[in-house]
Amino acid sequence: MFAAMAAMLLVGAAVGMLISTATGAGTDDAPSAESVDVGFAQDMRVHHLQAVTMAGIERDRTSDLTLRGIAFDIESTQLSQASEMSGWLTVWEQPSLPTAGAGYMKWMSEGGTHTHSNGEGGRTTGPVQRMPGMASTDELNKLRKLSGAELDTYFLQLMLRHHEGGKEMAEYAAEHAGKGYVRNLAEKVVTSQTNESNQMKTLLAQRGAKPLPAS
Amino acid sequence: MASGTKSKGPSNPKGKSGSVNKARRSVVGTARKPKPWGMIMAVVAVVALAGGVIGYALVTVHDKEKWVVSADNQDPSDNIEGVVHKKYESAQHVEATQRVAYDQSPPFGGPHDGTWADCNGTVYPKAVRTENMVHTLEHGAVWIAYNPDKIKGKALNTLKSKVEGQPYMVMSPYPGLDKPISLQSWGHQLKLTSADDGRLDEFIKSLRENQYQNPEPGGRCDSQETGFDVTNPPPFVSGKPDPKDPNTVTMDGKGAKTATDENGMQSGTTTPPATGTETPPATGASTPPATGGSTPPSQ
Repeated sequence: MFAAMAAMLLVGAAVGMLISTATGAGTDDAPSAESVDVGFAQDMRVHHLQAVTMAGIERDRTSDLTLRGIAFDIESTQLSQASEMSGWLTVWEQPSLPTAGAGYMKWMSEGGTHTHSNGEGGRTTGPVQRMPGMASTDELNKLRKLSGAELDTYFLQLMLRHHEGGKEMAEYAAEHAGKGYVRNLAEKVVTSQTNESNQMKTLLAQRGAKPLPAS
Repeated sequence: MASGTKSKGPSNPKGKSGSVNKARRSVVGTARKPKPWGMIMAVVAVVALAGGVIGYALVTVHDKEKWVVSADNQDPSDNIEGVVHKKYESAQHVEATQRVAYDQSPPFGGPHDGTWADCNGTVYPKAVRTENMVHTLEHGAVWIAYNPDKIKGKALNTLKSKVEGQPYMVMSPYPGLDKPISLQSWGHQLKLTSADDGRLDEFIKSLRENQYQNPEPGGRCDSQETGFDVTNPPPFVSGKPDPKDPNTVTMDGKGAKTATDENGMQSGTTTPPATGTETPPATGASTPPATGGSTPPSQ
């Protein structure tokens, strides 16, 4: 009977709705290991965590209140953002860091057709061993040993170079990442770090020091 | 069967010859004429059940998802009546000696002190310098400002219960507020009359730590390394700043330490040390003598 069939259909739809609301409607597809989203999250975590290290050193050792505030701000913000990206990778079931030794920024290569910085002032289309702006172990150790005005100046130089180096990755992800929340964070990184860079340039100029060459 | 009248009812003067037919008709009639009430009630019940379940599911899902911040729903406060939205440039920092000629009262965006007020569920008993409060909004905090003459007792406790110990929440008295309560997040404001207004929770749900609406997601609410003293914060200064005062910064950031204009070019880099951008420890510190010493204790 028509009525009976209609009734069955309605019951079926109702049950279906109940099930979908109970399990949480809208399953989100995780990006692939080769995606911009995953590549950015993994590589940027490494980049951010070095900023956290450098800022921590400055925060602990500086006697300048302004710089201590800046270092505290950078340390907290980038640690928080690195944790956010770690959460994404957990849910996406991807490693929280890039494969050790495999190189960085491959996700920016577009299959070898797109050039990006090679971490040494040049450009390349493949993965790189060091991301632009990253300090070397020697440079970090030098920072750890300085104090007073020298410490502050060197911190500003390293951190400014660090910000400017990371900007390229963030700009790329802001445009090419698949997930809206990834593009959003990348965009916010670009804006806030550009502002911080401007502030650091002013502070360096006041100290009569120059930025380091780009890496 | 016995011959004779078979009709069950009173004899019908007309149906003499048709008594058999009539009997047949009455038998056939019993199958056709009366409504199948049982079936109808069953169908109605099923339809009602289905309608109820589908309706409930739709409403619940919609209600739940309405407040969920996502790439597709970046500003759930669009669902709240009375919210004022404005776009503001971020990261325009001023010194402790400067004042900003804000466009709103309380402001919810614009230039602000480089040192943010502590916003770790902080309930300030006395009014705090506005330029420090605005910075907390950049990091994703919701600021509950209230008129201390209008909000007391139970209403005050209701507000405190939403703030005390909650990360990214901050509350302070704002003398002269034109409404009893004003909620702020970066670029958003909602003024309320009652602490029991349901929109209070909705505002917080929509905007606290909203990574799409707030310029600096991941920004800290702790203040212990910034020079800001949460036990003795820089006090509120009432009244509009004098536009002729060189320490007044306008909404476009002119005079701010690290303002950027629309082209992203940095202005303020050439500010001479006289306006306070040099590096004595007092820069950005919590209690600069200029604003700390002369204000009366009762705010």
